[in-house]
Amino acid sequence: MNDLIYFAAVEFTDDPNVAGHRYWYACPYEDVEPGDEVLAPLGRHNRLQKGTVRETRFSRDYEAPFPIYIIKYIKDVVKKRQGAAIMYKIIEKKSLNPTVTMMDIYAPLVANKAEPGQFVILRVDEDGERIPLTVAGYNRKAGTVKIIFQVVGATTIKLNNKKEGECLADFCGPLGCATETEGLKKVCIVGGGVGCAIALPVAQKLHELGCEVHSVIGFRSKELVILEKEFADCSERLSVMTDDGSYGQKGVVTQPLKEALESGEKFDRIIAIGPLVMMKFVVAAAKPFGVPVTVSMNPIMIDGTGMCGGCRLTVGGKTKFACVDGPDFDGYEVDFDEAMERSRMYCDFEARAREEACNLFKKEVK
Amino acid sequence: MAIIPKKHFMPVQQPKVRARNFEEVALGYDEKTAVAEAQRCLNCKNMPCVNGCPVNISIPSFINKVKEGKFEEAYNIITQSSSLPAVCGRVCPQETQCESKCTLGIKFEPVAIGRLERFVADYHNKNFKGVVSVPVSNGHKVAVIGSGPSGLTCAGDLAKKGYRVTVFEALHLAGGVLVYGIPEFRLPKDIVKKEVETLKQYGVEIDTNVVIGKTLTIDELFKAGYEAVFIGSGAGLPRFMSIPGESLKGVYSANEFLTRSNLMKAYKQHSDTPVMHAKKVVVVGGGNVAMDAARTALRLGADSVRIVYRRSMEELPARREEVEHAEEEGIIFDILRNPVEILGYRNAENARDPRNGFVTGIKVIKCELGEPDEKGRRRPVEVPGSEYEIEADCVIMAIGTSPNPLIKNTTAGLEVNKRGGIVVDEQSCKTSLPGVYAGGDAVTGAATVILAMGAGKSAAKAIDEYLSSGNS
Repeated sequence: MNDLIYFAAVEFTDDPNVAGHRYWYACPYEDVEPGDEVLAPLGRHNRLQKGTVRETRFSRDYEAPFPIYIIKYIKDVVKKRQGAAIMYKIIEKKSLNPTVTMMDIYAPLVANKAEPGQFVILRVDEDGERIPLTVAGYNRKAGTVKIIFQVVGATTIKLNNKKEGECLADFCGPLGCATETEGLKKVCIVGGGVGCAIALPVAQKLHELGCEVHSVIGFRSKELVILEKEFADCSERLSVMTDDGSYGQKGVVTQPLKEALESGEKFDRIIAIGPLVMMKFVVAAAKPFGVPVTVSMNPIMIDGTGMCGGCRLTVGGKTKFACVDGPDFDGYEVDFDEAMERSRMYCDFEARAREEACNLFKKEVK
Repeated sequence: MAIIPKKHFMPVQQPKVRARNFEEVALGYDEKTAVAEAQRCLNCKNMPCVNGCPVNISIPSFINKVKEGKFEEAYNIITQSSSLPAVCGRVCPQETQCESKCTLGIKFEPVAIGRLERFVADYHNKNFKGVVSVPVSNGHKVAVIGSGPSGLTCAGDLAKKGYRVTVFEALHLAGGVLVYGIPEFRLPKDIVKKEVETLKQYGVEIDTNVVIGKTLTIDELFKAGYEAVFIGSGAGLPRFMSIPGESLKGVYSANEFLTRSNLMKAYKQHSDTPVMHAKKVVVVGGGNVAMDAARTALRLGADSVRIVYRRSMEELPARREEVEHAEEEGIIFDILRNPVEILGYRNAENARDPRNGFVTGIKVIKCELGEPDEKGRRRPVEVPGSEYEIEADCVIMAIGTSPNPLIKNTTAGLEVNKRGGIVVDEQSCKTSLPGVYAGGDAVTGAATVILAMGAGKSAAKAIDEYLSSGNS
């Protein structure tokens, strides 16, 4: 059978443009049968879409059902016909910089509803911790949700050790309220570090809605810069900042923001997503100009559905819950100092857990 | 035969031992004791105990079967009315329900109905090897939101009638408050798992990680072919007192503290989820949740645990047995006290001191009982100038919850009252929307497991009538 290639004909029933047609693909998974659902690239842009296998065959390359030199490959099998869903599979994994990883997770129900600004709660494995991650993008047709995370703690180390094709134990969402984008004509997006990953879909959505987007993204140094091209594509103006000046301009994100405001730019709103201290200073910078600031809060959470109250913040003197009232809040109202203090509640525990997780993986490598 | 005046003793773990482990406290009757206890039942004609039970278990008949040693038959009698007998036998407040009505209880201690129920259910779970007979499907699809006591009861009752039921659960594990709220030492999680497995055998499907109101809406459930929906989404956001210091590190809501320990297994050494192993803990509140939180804190290694409650011991809303167990384990009750402020550490000279913002104590004020309020409970009145401080490194607020807004916000036309609870017809659990029913804490606010089960039961009956009458 060595010279035989496995082919599968796929119908994309969810897509009205191509429903009823069958497309032949080379299939690297020999257990695929008619009735299985697969993810495969479609059209000029090769965007992944979910389809159903209608027919399969083994052929030699010269008898291939479609010219072998241009045939595309099935990317992944997502669901077995027997009804046992293979959920929360990692369809794609990419390292954006040494500490930031991007993953596309198969979760059609979440992908169907997700909007910029919302988040998911995931568990890497049984007995794992529930962690919130903000949605960094979605592909409704393929049923995938994009997450981008910084490898900082025990759980993100574990998550980063998962490979393409493996599954996560749980993936729940979309939770929280979407970022308000309605009626905005000119917005400044300020992203810091991995916060840029969350800011990007907001910028993209605003851009699609015809809003004038100015973006300021900041990182510690050149190696850590992510998503620059994507931001450039959806922004009228983009400033890239690094703390050490190894790339873009040297300095913090508030500098170009202040310059823009001082030069008379009239923003309807500033949307700041990044470390708490960065958001605090963005608010301080915007205050003299009276521009509204939306900030995205990412406190410690457990259930994410409004049950435990662990994510509480003081906003405008009142107790608010980031999971159901947020995660976006009016920057002028948020008590940042308190939020910063609360975020350090489990510092010691996290340091220990991180060390354990690191050691665990070191052992496995041997 | 002479009447034995007292209930047969149920063996428990020694207080000093159990205060340091998470194993179940009460160990249950053995067969001999169960039969002996069943013989205390007078088998009186008017059966007042049945009316005391929110799901009307036919108590004298199951006790009769226990008397005869036919435990499996006794189990079948209980399951005609209750889907979760092993759970109820452990967590129902029997002293205010069935046992409070017992005729024997007029002169002596009532029959230990709860302990017998627990025994029968445990006997079945241990010894039953058969397969349940799955009813023939009637083709109707029903969606149940939430897999807590009300949802599981409703799902179980409908599945037994042949409905195809799907339960949607927001968390990663089925069981609702039975898994995230009630601790292992009071209700072992294996028992909940077993009860859920039994429901699955009846054909109930459980979809975890689906948040109704977010992942799917009620309208979408109807579009997906479900003909009726039961909302058993439970209680929501924890309440706080709006006193200074509630945002300090070391202040938990009981929900968060218990969820970390129970659902996320933070009490185990290698769990990924952290929880504070505090030394001096103060729990505010007097309900079952407060008792659970206090006793969990003790088991996590606290040197002292105090319960601060604003009324007296008589008014404590917690189950009698839990209060007794808590006292035996050494939990201190600071009754007639009301918190006025939570105190925290602040190093004025060093803003980066890692101890900054952690709890150091709680300031309380003494209270006296005044005139009864509209519910008949005597209102606590603060004694001016009687404030004092209690040292603490962890404060747990167990003063109730307000309803979760997720479903309300995404379901047009669903009527809620001013506290946010869903408005229903008491008999049928019908909401303001056709085909939508609701019960449990989502309607009543924080209440008991058995009341929620009662609501789930009534809703199942009403849904059955609604769908079989062809109204759909």
